[in-house]
Amino acid sequence: MSEPILISGAGIVSAIGVGKEPTLKSLLSQSSGIGDVKYLQTAHDEFPVGEVKLSDGEMMSMLGLPQDSTQIRTSLMGMIALKEALQEAGINSDLIGSTGFISGTTVGGMDKSEQYYLDFLDNDRHNEYIATHDCGACTEMIADHFGRFAWLSTISTACSSAANAIVAAANLIKAGEADIVVAGGCECLSKFHLNGFNSLMILDTAPCRPFDATRRGLNLGEGAAYMVLESAASVKRRGIVPLASLWGYGNACDAFHQTASSPDGTGAYKAMAKALEMGGVVPSGIDYINAHGTGTENNDLSESQAIIRLFGDCVPPISSTKSFTGHTTSASGAIEAVICILALQHQFLPVNLNWKEPMENGIKPVTDMKSPRPINMALCNSFGFGGNDTSLLLSRV
Amino acid sequence: MEELILNLKKEIIDVLNLEDVKPEDIDNDAPLFGEGLGLDSIDALELIVLMEKNYGIKLQDAAKGKEIFKSLNTMADYIAKNRKK
Amino acid sequence: MNVKSWVKITPHDAIVAGKSVLASNDVAGQKLLVEVYRKYVNNYPKFFKMDTLCKLGFIASELLLNDIEGTERNSFDDRAVIMFNHSSSYNADCHFQQTIQDVDDFYPSPSVFVYTLPNIVTGEIAIRNKYFGETSFYVIDEPDARIMAQVICNTLVGSGMKSALCGWVECTCDDEFTAVVFLLDGDIDRASFEEEIKSLFTEQ
Repeated sequence: MSEPILISGAGIVSAIGVGKEPTLKSLLSQSSGIGDVKYLQTAHDEFPVGEVKLSDGEMMSMLGLPQDSTQIRTSLMGMIALKEALQEAGINSDLIGSTGFISGTTVGGMDKSEQYYLDFLDNDRHNEYIATHDCGACTEMIADHFGRFAWLSTISTACSSAANAIVAAANLIKAGEADIVVAGGCECLSKFHLNGFNSLMILDTAPCRPFDATRRGLNLGEGAAYMVLESAASVKRRGIVPLASLWGYGNACDAFHQTASSPDGTGAYKAMAKALEMGGVVPSGIDYINAHGTGTENNDLSESQAIIRLFGDCVPPISSTKSFTGHTTSASGAIEAVICILALQHQFLPVNLNWKEPMENGIKPVTDMKSPRPINMALCNSFGFGGNDTSLLLSRV
Repeated sequence: MEELILNLKKEIIDVLNLEDVKPEDIDNDAPLFGEGLGLDSIDALELIVLMEKNYGIKLQDAAKGKEIFKSLNTMADYIAKNRKK
Repeated sequence: MNVKSWVKITPHDAIVAGKSVLASNDVAGQKLLVEVYRKYVNNYPKFFKMDTLCKLGFIASELLLNDIEGTERNSFDDRAVIMFNHSSSYNADCHFQQTIQDVDDFYPSPSVFVYTLPNIVTGEIAIRNKYFGETSFYVIDEPDARIMAQVICNTLVGSGMKSALCGWVECTCDDEFTAVVFLLDGDIDRASFEEEIKSLFTEQ
């Protein structure tokens, strides 16, 4: 086991709150953020979504940006989450110059591209949004709000993007390339991917029920979360009290299908096993798993199989917090990792909302917040299309 | 019915990009998925789109596809009974 | 040499370790990819279902692996697939947009939608070869050898992978693309690696 990476700050924005305090409150009061669509302009109002309860304008005001600034929703949410993480870790403008920033996104500026697409074709009225379309631009816009980072990178591996950004950051620190790297992801809802997921017929018209026998699919969500990853030496030098540590991580390829998970969850199994191996932790040492748990027929069965295979008769408490936030796609890995940090800090099990009926060959998720034992180690799963599976192992400090 | 079956074969080859398959290669009773033509879940969704686009049949539940797409005959049968265009 | 072998594909040529594998120059773009598939692969019908970015990455990886390991190849648990480009899945995005552009002809295509993610290409290569190791896709401004070398080295250090199939796969429309793909095996000499990557992009 190599030296763990410390987490010295974290920020989060999702349907259940802007910031860690409100997020914690929602988790503890078991109030879901999933509801009728309000901010996304779509004809598909039959699908419940987990929207961040702020308009673009309101987010601009919060950030002190002029109302007419050229911004995309993904980076606005990203800025709010990043601000919280940087403040908590005490990363001031001087330190930013030696700090790296890695952000995961896939939707990027699609919200404005689809809004102004016909204008792009017909006239020059909104051409300023052409340059904000791509994923890299999204990262740059977030970064520029805070100053000049030493290093920027964008990772796009679908729904495991944010988790992979965290892995990439940890690799950089381990390789001695950086002391402090901020990593996570951001993603807003767009008609483009709502329609895309609908074409895959995996959206539920009712609130999602991960791991339930009656599950019919997922609800899309949106949000952003970042964490400040830092070497132990740097934390010590700066005199910061870390929130938690990244004890291990694993990425594996399911090598089965572009979008479907293999029936036995090969990739998920390998990713979790690698994270445990890196952390030198045996399966019985895991106190909580925040599952990928999208609520689709395929994922929940495949993930259950992988967990049962790895944990045997010591399957730990498991929940999918997508029942609170919806599936925040590229941001989900970071949003759920921050939820794990909250669980470790405040010693509670985030529950799996809407679960009633056990599914065949599936795990039974947590419905009681009280943990039978101290929560010291939490595993956080994020699986993306392309069979890109990542598992992060977070530890209490 | 025979005309529908032949058209359907051509449409399937086209939308699923079955580059090396000819209409006469598709056995009307052979399973479309798994062995048979080796189609996967995305192909099934694409067949659902095909039924809506070309025959006006809107399928709400993807699981229903399993029965309908058992073979070319079952698919043609379903379309003949439910088509709106 | 860190790089075991390399492949370069443009709309007009397919080159393996410096030598063109095409008999003539009369095909280009999409047709060139199909011709190379017919001649050197021809046993993976799924190729025809892929979008152009995946076709490109797939063909490049097939030529590369055929050159190094032949056609009877092993599955790997410890081989990473790491790809980079500039335009992400832009080309597939445009094709999907066409299926939802017109309200009277609004049929979002699931098989097009699945390719609106750049990392599907790393997944397709892993599926074909049964590589269960780390797969990642990075969107960067240009094929910057320094960044690519840094990302690849750090991935190998952090993830315990023994070998890696890496490269640049860029596609802006069905007939405009570039791939430079290479295989690494064993320890990497970081000092010479960056220069090696640079030379792959300048060599013809």
